[in-house]
Amino acid sequence: MTELAAVAAMYPNIKNIGAEVLAISTDSVHSHQVYKQTTPALHDLGFPLVSDRTHEISQSYRVLDSATGTAYRASFFISPDQVIHAKMIYPKAIGRNIPEHFRLLQALHYNKETSQAVPVDWMIR
Amino acid sequence: MINVNEDLLKKSSQPTEFYATRDDKAPSFSADAMDGSEIRRIRLDEFKGKWVVLFFYPSDFTAV
Repeated sequence: MTELAAVAAMYPNIKNIGAEVLAISTDSVHSHQVYKQTTPALHDLGFPLVSDRTHEISQSYRVLDSATGTAYRASFFISPDQVIHAKMIYPKAIGRNIPEHFRLLQALHYNKETSQAVPVDWMIR
Repeated sequence: MINVNEDLLKKSSQPTEFYATRDDKAPSFSADAMDGSEIRRIRLDEFKGKWVVLFFYPSDFTAV
């Protein structure tokens, strides 16, 4: 399964806590369209695929691999007032841990609501 | 000795480079996106009031 398919599978949970996902690559929006149409797991994708054709977004988030003109495997967690709270960058050939993305979102949410710190491996059961 | 310290002082008074990391304001953007079955212009600031994950990936049609 690709990362995007894994995010798609997790998306109902993400939506449920009121959060959003924007997937971004330097492909054209037409490439995104064909990719969605030809990938069964992405047919009903609930979140947008953003086209960073000009590399401006990847550049401004400092995740552009200028040798290949593609973005790193990078995730940013942005608060409701649009401040970066966490950033992770993975190697090109290694897929990210999507349950950890959800755990981090839940934890950020919990921390903001309660001002409680969140311990190691914390999870809502 | 004194020269070294002065150099350090000079360095620290220069504006630091932007790394887009924790506690930084998220750079705003506007770009075309495939959203549902339509192509539309999307802006980060549409999502004010919500937690947002920006999920950068290298390219469509890859195995990972």
